[in-house]
Amino acid sequence: MAEITFRVKRQDPQDKKNPEAHWEDYKITYEGNLTVLEGLFYIQEKYDGSLAFRYCCRASVCGSCAMYIDGAYRLACQTNVKHLDSAGSPDPVVTVAPMPHLPLVKDLVCDMTDFFAKYEYIMPWLIRKSPDPEKELLQSPKDRKKLDMPIDCILCGCCYSSCPSVWGEENYLGPAALLKAYRFEVDSRDEARKDRLSRWDNERGVYRCHTIMNCVEACPKELVPTEGIQWLKRAAIRRRLFGRLK
Amino acid sequence: MSKKPRETANIGAGLWKATGMWAWLLFRISGLILVFYLGAHILVISTAQWSEAGKTFNDLMKAFEHPVLVLLDLALVVAVLYHALNGVRVILMDLGIGVRSHKLVYWICMAVVVIVFAVFAYVAFTYIITGKGVM
Repeated sequence: MAEITFRVKRQDPQDKKNPEAHWEDYKITYEGNLTVLEGLFYIQEKYDGSLAFRYCCRASVCGSCAMYIDGAYRLACQTNVKHLDSAGSPDPVVTVAPMPHLPLVKDLVCDMTDFFAKYEYIMPWLIRKSPDPEKELLQSPKDRKKLDMPIDCILCGCCYSSCPSVWGEENYLGPAALLKAYRFEVDSRDEARKDRLSRWDNERGVYRCHTIMNCVEACPKELVPTEGIQWLKRAAIRRRLFGRLK
Repeated sequence: MSKKPRETANIGAGLWKATGMWAWLLFRISGLILVFYLGAHILVISTAQWSEAGKTFNDLMKAFEHPVLVLLDLALVVAVLYHALNGVRVILMDLGIGVRSHKLVYWICMAVVVIVFAVFAYVAFTYIITGKGVM
């Protein structure tokens, strides 16, 4: 049996008596391995049923449980407490906080309304204008390879929360939405590049990215949104200057 | 977009360990220093037409030979070099070069900063200590 302390940041803005943020310690005993998400379940069952957090798939593909764990953006379900920096100490303490710089709903739940509104704004779906072919739309392996990086995004919001450009400009689309714009920009089957261009080609879009690289640092899926955004900047200039619209 | 208070308990959250964050912040700060320097520079140069035979200007230039002001000059060199070399890195990233290896590019740029600064420091300290130019 091993023991570990979870230091969880609790806050309920709607609680009239105690709306302020405070840290609470919970002792957790476990055998073998423990993910942070399992630890949170343990707290909910044994100590405090009012602890709020998001989760869904428990396999790091849904992006619901992104949190700020032990000083870094992590997915709670993907994080084994043994791999954290604090695990080595004789009395390990794991700090669990909601994602910073986002509006808070309760405890570890952030308000992702803006994040998804911006995501929707860049029209993240395949748009075809020519008539559909009889069979499937074929893509060469080379074209498909371009999508490998951007399609791994699980929309957890870590990049969005970590981006100083987002902190300073609330209408900036953010790395996740722009990465998705890039994903359709390099898709050989998509035919709405002209419609999307004006949505990300402005000061609230790609030009607000100052290549700070925090998104790359934060991404739990180890994607490189900045690469996509830089690609978009070049594509925008090619089109605005040389009129290469497709 | 919603106007809700943001979670600000962890400003900069852990990213202070990240190279990119520091590179960007220092880039901004050095840029501000250069803007203020530019104003001061124009002011100082314009003193050349203030008095007969540029006496104010010559007196000012004499004052700038003080060791403390030479050290300030050296600080300006750091700001210029940092801004220039990190600017090169940002331009390279805009061209799509070294986005994935931006940390390596950053430290190469910083190595160039240190090397060029060493030359300037040698000149400045020779002047402060001996009171003469290098050449």
